[in-house]
Amino acid sequence: MIAVGTKAPDFTLPDHLGRQISLAGLLGRRQVMLLFYPLDFTPT
Amino acid sequence: MPAVEALRERFEAAGTQVLGVSVDSIYCHANWACDLGGISFPLLADFHPKGKTAAAYGLYLEDNGITDRATVILSADGVVRFAESVGPGGERDIEALLARCEAIADEHGRPSWTPPARRLPAGATLYVKSRCGFSRAALLARSNLHLEQSIAIKNVTEDASACEELERIAGKSQAPCLVIDGQPKHESAEIIAMLVEATAPVPT
Repeated sequence: MIAVGTKAPDFTLPDHLGRQISLAGLLGRRQVMLLFYPLDFTPT
Repeated sequence: MPAVEALRERFEAAGTQVLGVSVDSIYCHANWACDLGGISFPLLADFHPKGKTAAAYGLYLEDNGITDRATVILSADGVVRFAESVGPGGERDIEALLARCEAIADEHGRPSWTPPARRLPAGATLYVKSRCGFSRAALLARSNLHLEQSIAIKNVTEDASACEELERIAGKSQAPCLVIDGQPKHESAEIIAMLVEATAPVPT
């Protein structure tokens, strides 16, 4: 798992509402919480 | 995910954009999000190449082809301030994570950006067809953006009068079609983009 204090790797991924989300595009103005999870249709 | 959606405004007040990430496709995400009662924050498809983003964070479980259940919080400068795995079968404490986000915002500076208040104009109708993937995509977006109350649904396959009505307004019976103030908009991608822009814009 990525270590606290390191720079987060950038990514651009599509979302379920047709948006292209780029991490770099969000940062600067806001902080970001990433919720990684195993699979859809499983408990959250 | 529903617990996060319920606290969406408090995460926003803490200057935090929440992103869900798994290896499923955007179509699977949209259907699951709808099942959960609607999710408006981005669920990202780390689908192709599978798990590439999770792997970059050391969270892809290659043996099983799934992502670990883990939370990573970044301050606005892109530095990891918190990273925790609860294991694939574990459960996150969302209230505790909100408190983490608030503490990080206090320590590293609360970002000033706040989402603009936008609203869909009243009196919108979404015309859909049965057994149509594009209509289904538009319907899922309506649910995921919590627009059931503000957008009426008419099915042009099952309701002949709805079909005639759409032909009168749009000059053709092509669906899905979103009509606001008598103005038709075709193409599911454009309809969904318009709904997102009106209710849940995310800077890219």
